[in-house]
Amino acid sequence: MAVSGRFVLLVLLGIVPVLLLPGWGTFFAVAAALAALAGVDAALAGSPRSLRIIRSGAASVTLNARADAGLAIHNDGRRRVRGSFRDGWQPSAGAVNPVQQIDVPAGEGRRATVVLRPVRRGDLKSPHITVRSYGPLLLAARQQTIAAAGSLRVLPPFTSRRHLPSKLQKLRELDGKAAVQIRGAGTEFDSLRDYVRGDDVRSIDWRATARRSAVVVRTWRPERDRRVVMVLDTSRTSAARIDDETRLDTGLEAALLLGVLAERGGDRVDFLAFDRRMRARAGSAGKGNLLGRLVQAMAPLEPELIEMDWAAVPAQVRAATAHRSLVVLLTSLDGGAPEEGLIPAAAQLAAQHTVVVAAVRDPQLGTMLDEREDAAGVFRAAAAERALLQRTAVSAELRRFGVEVVDAEPHQLPPRLADMYIRLKAAGRL
Amino acid sequence: MTGIAEITGPADQAGTAEEAGTAREGAPGGKAGRLRSRMRRHRGRAALAAVVAVALGLVVWGQLAPKGDNVPLSVSNAGPGGARAVAQILGRHGVEVHDARTHGEAMDALTAGEAPTLLLYDRNGILDADRIKSLTAASTRTVVVSPRFDTLRALDSGVRQAGVVPDGSPALEPGCALPDAQAAGQVNGGSGFVYDGGTTCYRPPGSPAGLLSVSADGRLVVLGSTAVLDNGHLDSMGHAALALRLLGSSADLVWYLPSLGEVAVDGTPRTLGELTPDWARFVGPWLVIVALAAMAWRGRRQGPLVFEPLPVVVQAVETAEGRARLYHDARADEQARDNLRAGTLSRLAASLRLGPGATAEQVTAAAARSLGRPAAEVRELFGEHPRNEARLVAWARELQTLEKEVKSR
Repeated sequence: MAVSGRFVLLVLLGIVPVLLLPGWGTFFAVAAALAALAGVDAALAGSPRSLRIIRSGAASVTLNARADAGLAIHNDGRRRVRGSFRDGWQPSAGAVNPVQQIDVPAGEGRRATVVLRPVRRGDLKSPHITVRSYGPLLLAARQQTIAAAGSLRVLPPFTSRRHLPSKLQKLRELDGKAAVQIRGAGTEFDSLRDYVRGDDVRSIDWRATARRSAVVVRTWRPERDRRVVMVLDTSRTSAARIDDETRLDTGLEAALLLGVLAERGGDRVDFLAFDRRMRARAGSAGKGNLLGRLVQAMAPLEPELIEMDWAAVPAQVRAATAHRSLVVLLTSLDGGAPEEGLIPAAAQLAAQHTVVVAAVRDPQLGTMLDEREDAAGVFRAAAAERALLQRTAVSAELRRFGVEVVDAEPHQLPPRLADMYIRLKAAGRL
Repeated sequence: MTGIAEITGPADQAGTAEEAGTAREGAPGGKAGRLRSRMRRHRGRAALAAVVAVALGLVVWGQLAPKGDNVPLSVSNAGPGGARAVAQILGRHGVEVHDARTHGEAMDALTAGEAPTLLLYDRNGILDADRIKSLTAASTRTVVVSPRFDTLRALDSGVRQAGVVPDGSPALEPGCALPDAQAAGQVNGGSGFVYDGGTTCYRPPGSPAGLLSVSADGRLVVLGSTAVLDNGHLDSMGHAALALRLLGSSADLVWYLPSLGEVAVDGTPRTLGELTPDWARFVGPWLVIVALAAMAWRGRRQGPLVFEPLPVVVQAVETAEGRARLYHDARADEQARDNLRAGTLSRLAASLRLGPGATAEQVTAAAARSLGRPAAEVRELFGEHPRNEARLVAWARELQTLEKEVKSR
């Protein structure tokens, strides 16, 4: 039961008979008449229970984009349902028009569209729709909440996409197509072609030259069909917010850029999100395009308030690939006790694979370092210094085991990780 | 993460948040168990509320409890300004004290009494001339305490107001042949009034008017001070004797203090209810009904609350800031110095390309070479242990300057 503004106006007008015929009798008679009017109007309203609601519309959308959630409302009752409904999207779904007017005659159906502008990644839900059906006089309404679960998967925005063209260009330059020659243990023979001025004389293939009258050089191309395994740490340290986004979000961006780049580079990509158990997994092995599968897998990830189980990581990597691969650990360098968790696991992986640890550095530590105006500032600088020294020590320890470390600020991490991949690929270390 | 499942069911519209709140506590065992657990959880708060309620009740009761009146010179006022003492003493000596609150009561007591004495203390000048005249006519003897100008004029006995007792002479001698005054001796005339006409006693030096004035026929006594009668001063000087002699001369004493309720008015005033028209009584209640309807209109929420599972967010720099506060609170100058020194050395080693294995000695030497400064000076800077915080701040800035100089080279 609900009343309308029209009913309030009518009650206000009810003061006229009360004033014309003053007395408690009139007073209560008018009040009772108004209540009865509202009751009858509500009783004559079409029943919201007889509505059937079918949801439609986009199942997923990227963050900060617009999504239209469709609703088909069928009236199976005998009376017309006139009034409004409210779609119960959670606030972060950013519903622009959750409350709308409806007018569905008996036995017919109507469509409505709720415009959503989600502000948070993940699976956003609308558990129910509340319908308010007014009577013929539009004085009072029956209100009913109808369970109609709707869900929208909001995908990570992949803002690091803007780095993709330049990194792909770099990757292409590694190929024999361009005039750049690379020699290394890991590059494989591609083709023979005529010598042009500027080519490295060491790359001249003398046998082929002997067979022909012109000088012939060998070209190489980077090896292909290597494997890249990205392990994203979703444990408690990933909840830390640096520069307006969590470590987890930065890790997702870096993983997306690296994943797309490696796929274009002809490598096979596997993505694991892990803390104490597998949170998400995607890879080149499935069908459809890799980017789509990656973002679908990443969308519902949230930081979990538990400690990372580093001891289980090598086994997870082994389960993902049996071959020598590039293993990228997207984690943090300063959480808990790295010498007990991250370092042994990375060292163990480094024995078989090429390992890269990618971690976000907090730019605020750099600003804290320069605050030396007073005693409090100096102590802050000392604390920041200590945090940075710890990171440096952990990085040094990792490098001692042959692990590459990418330690960059949030916006720099995805391109720096991509650069590291290109460098390793050029050096033939994949 | 949180209980989405709880809101998918058709929840009751009103009090959804409440329901969901209790459901999330996850207390099994139905409503009774939930209630019990809630009571247990709020036991401390309930006890506190009970204590506050009892204290509040006591305060209110103390405020509302009847207290003796605080009207000056009232026979039931036991305070310093009251006259309960003198009334009780008179009562013990066989004088019946009639406490009259209204003019009618006073008249009744006077007519019923036998040669009654009237005490009249009209400090606000409430009584009009007719009533004063009727009172004096009915009484055998009238004692008027500190009468105002209007009262004196109504009495029409030749006694006139003649100012106040000068500040310099609080103790007044009788100075007259009146036996009552002679017997009583000195009285305190402080802040009293003096009157002229008739037989005057207790005259301030150099003044013909006195604190006590008796009319020629002896039926009217004007006393210029309440101090003679009140509880606070009754036991000083000759106050008690004078009071008892003035008031105790007859068997009946009517003690009349006119109150504000007796102000003469022209006709009965009309109440607000009588002034407003008949219909106006219903406007207020009807507007309450309109307000209720408006509340129902605006206050009804369309659908239950929806849950937003909020993620955990921690500022990464919090740990470093917490450590900084710890250093500061513990005055860990030495620790801060070590951190800053080690950090600066490691960055200098990197910018001077000395490699990770360089010792502090090598780094300082290289830095001194790069800056063209004596090695001993730089070594001294890095070897210093600041004695206090002020020196630590200065030292930290020197390190920063040095590092900037090396890097800018």
